[in-house]
Amino acid sequence: MTSLQSERRLDRAAFGIAVALAAVAIVIAVDTYNLPEGIASYARVGPRAFPYAIAAAMAVLAIATAIAAWRGKFPERPKDEYGPFYWIVGGLLVQLALIGWAGFAIATGAVFAATARAFGRGPLWMTYLIGVGISLAIWLAFAKGLSLVLPAGPLERMF
Amino acid sequence: METFQFLAQGLSVALQLDNLLFGLVGVTLGTAVGVLPGIGPALTVALLLPITFKLDPAGSLIMFAGIYYGSMYGGSTTSILLNAPGESASVVTALEGNKMARVGRGGPALATAAIGSFVAGTIATIGLALLAPWVVEFALAMGPGEYFALMVLAFATVSAAFGDSTLRGLTALFLGLTLGLVGIDLQSGQARLSFGMPDLFDGIEVTTVAVALFAVGETLFIACGGDRTQETITPVKGSLWMSREDWKRSWKPWLRGTIIGFPIGAMPAGGAEIGTFLSYATEKQLAKNPEEFGHGAIEGVAGPEAANNASAAGTLVPLLTLGLPTSATAAIMLAGFQQYGLQPGPLLFVNRPELVWGLIASLFIANIMLLVLNLPLIGLWVRVLAIPRPWLYGGILTFATLGTLGANPSLVELGMLLLFGLMGYGLRRFGYPIAPVVVGLILGPLAEQQLRRALSISQGDPMILFGSPMAVIMLSIALIATFGPLLWRLFKPEGAPSSLAGNED
Amino acid sequence: MLHRIRDSVLGVLVASTFATMAAAAPSQLSIMAPAAPGGGYDQTARSIQSVLQESKTVPNVQVTNVPGAGGAVGLAQFANNAKGDATQLIVGGYVMVGALIANKSPVTLDNVTPLARLTGESDAIVVPVNSPLKTMEDLVKALKADPGKVSWAGGSAGGVDHIAVGLIAKKVGVDPTKINYVPYSGGGEALAAILGGQVTAGISGVSEFEGQVAAGKLRLLAITGGKRLPNVNAPTLKESGVDVEVENWRMVAAAPGITAAQKADLLSTIETMVKSEGWKKILTSKNWADSYLAGDAFATYLKNQTADTTQVLKDIGVLK
Repeated sequence: MTSLQSERRLDRAAFGIAVALAAVAIVIAVDTYNLPEGIASYARVGPRAFPYAIAAAMAVLAIATAIAAWRGKFPERPKDEYGPFYWIVGGLLVQLALIGWAGFAIATGAVFAATARAFGRGPLWMTYLIGVGISLAIWLAFAKGLSLVLPAGPLERMF
Repeated sequence: METFQFLAQGLSVALQLDNLLFGLVGVTLGTAVGVLPGIGPALTVALLLPITFKLDPAGSLIMFAGIYYGSMYGGSTTSILLNAPGESASVVTALEGNKMARVGRGGPALATAAIGSFVAGTIATIGLALLAPWVVEFALAMGPGEYFALMVLAFATVSAAFGDSTLRGLTALFLGLTLGLVGIDLQSGQARLSFGMPDLFDGIEVTTVAVALFAVGETLFIACGGDRTQETITPVKGSLWMSREDWKRSWKPWLRGTIIGFPIGAMPAGGAEIGTFLSYATEKQLAKNPEEFGHGAIEGVAGPEAANNASAAGTLVPLLTLGLPTSATAAIMLAGFQQYGLQPGPLLFVNRPELVWGLIASLFIANIMLLVLNLPLIGLWVRVLAIPRPWLYGGILTFATLGTLGANPSLVELGMLLLFGLMGYGLRRFGYPIAPVVVGLILGPLAEQQLRRALSISQGDPMILFGSPMAVIMLSIALIATFGPLLWRLFKPEGAPSSLAGNED
Repeated sequence: MLHRIRDSVLGVLVASTFATMAAAAPSQLSIMAPAAPGGGYDQTARSIQSVLQESKTVPNVQVTNVPGAGGAVGLAQFANNAKGDATQLIVGGYVMVGALIANKSPVTLDNVTPLARLTGESDAIVVPVNSPLKTMEDLVKALKADPGKVSWAGGSAGGVDHIAVGLIAKKVGVDPTKINYVPYSGGGEALAAILGGQVTAGISGVSEFEGQVAAGKLRLLAITGGKRLPNVNAPTLKESGVDVEVENWRMVAAAPGITAAQKADLLSTIETMVKSEGWKKILTSKNWADSYLAGDAFATYLKNQTADTTQVLKDIGVLK
């Protein structure tokens, strides 16, 4: 634990968290306020009590987080590389865009290839083909073997 | 003793060579599918159940028992090795188990999980055989007031998983509670925090959140860490097996986990997760060196894993005695039993004793096979950590999306996997603990529904919450757990932490 | 394997090319169950599948599950994706009617082509065996005396169980917003609360309670359907002096925008199935009542049900 006076540096990212928590508190409160009255219940505790309590707690946590950020009380963060981050998130987004019509294997291959790339393995065309192969094998095992409903595309329909 | 006669008969059937073979196949399949991140016991049993229909009733029951216990056990392996629990009941296992795996103690962690599962499974199955009628009576006596007390107790012990900052622990817990609000409120039928999206009306799937926060978040965190996270994983350091010390520290948590997990599993609104939370908190409270928790304490693996598997047998108590399916897995099993022409219910023990006892005997056999299969495999499993990271994490994400899509084939679900994965990364980056999010998501809605149910039945009289001895006892324990550390220091005899001074290797 | 591929490719080709022609039964069908595997909709869809396939009426039938919001998620997806495709069906029912109204869903049953009501299941009203209430009349008396003291355990708020209790209250002259209805998720939890004596009475599908009634742990006071059931020893609500009739029915509907000829073909396929031995066997084994009602008669019924349900949901306060 660092002492109070040691660092009076505003941790901007941590302060951002405080703002986000405050935003969550407001969203919960507004949504709950707009909730229709609903059934009159004998419980006296209706559908609004818990959300309001959670919103209030979130607001308090937001303030506490802001103070902690102000005092620089968040743990030291080593520098992260963001290249891998974009690769993986990109891979998942591509999967999301493809899976509706291209099927499980073609879409999931993108996740596999992008993750491999994020960890420094390429070339992309090769890892993608490996990913499609693995995903297709999984699709065959689960969809054909165990009749799990998984999205099928042109590749899967060949089987 | 008719009971033992039936049991002996069941065992003799289960021990026939071909039935043993079916049991082995069931255990292997159950473990193999259950071990995949994102695919929990409910999905595993649903997927594999149809295979058992092709056999005769005895063989299919035995294979089924193997699948069930195998899938319950399988989830712990990825929790320990990869910090990627396949289901919510093994989230707690990841807390200490993965820390152990990172310093080369994956072998002992897997071993204590396997042996703990065996011990808990065996004791709980005996409990199922001998105590079912009494346990079910106790479970039925639990009204909403008692359940609320149980939830309060679980909440009071959550702080055990908070890590090193109360502020960040509480924030994580309330993030989980917020997620738990989403969806149609069961008591009033009003949609909360759903923003008019029908896909959110049923609430947020716990499995999706658990897999996203752990598997996807962990992958992002490791990938972005670059060289920093490169050296942290050592496949094996020291012995692959449990040392004397490990045994000494494990056996009590196994037994305590069993005692906690079995009755909670038997409760109609209990579930496997609550038992693992309570067991973890208990072990942390009772540990001779609690400061080791959060850095790879073996008690934190042994207890929750035992609780998880004891609750698997506990779930069968209301299912077999009353025909009550109390979990998703149990509901699927009920459908399975009906395929054998077996109608679980109050008359099952009377009408078809041979089948009930056949099943119980099969559970014993499955439990032994699980141990026989898994102990030798530990050496192989830890080598998973030696797989080059591009392939390992590519595979983890592939299976994470498979599990999510398999449980709910929708784009919204896949989008949530990504969204919560990002959240998991952010939480890790800023030193927030992950487990309290899952705890809040599971416990929040339960606590709210039970409280409002209790007050509805009592027409608003809050005294119903303190109306029974059971509720008062649980609330008192919750009080003690909250202020426990203080009391503990007051009553702890001088010089207690002596025997364990040199156990770090 | 090759045969299978060729057959299914052919099947798709045939189905899509000739779908517009007035042929007999289609060669392939895809049925959506707007719920998770294991539930009522799923079982209905899979029963249709097995009967159609085994009787070779339709050689290739697939079932897909799209769970969410009491069927609203699946219905919305079906109404959008299946437009004009006569090879796609969806299963639905009374629960869906209520859920669509309560959630103010933009997609309703008007957006699909209802074909036929297939099955019905009556609700049962039970009390623990040691309850002082011996008959439905006793329960009504208690309800009239103090509605707050009579707690009912049943399914989700606004569901068929809740609606039935609301209707009972209304008919016996008790304010329906004053009922003390305690919703439980899933049958098991509600059953446990009734067995444990946590609530005064319980209401759910007859089959949920059968085992406990047979074992003498629950007393069956009345069933909510219009007719007595063969294996169930209990009066109907009407016989007990409460003029209420509610049944949890399930139906099958086709895609929007299909031609009259396609609709006629599908109706005849369904009729063939309903008349078959295989279907009757399934009804007996699952304890479903045959409540077959097809075509225009069903469309009218559906319209009335929607209007009635809207009114009841307003009465019990779920809908404002």
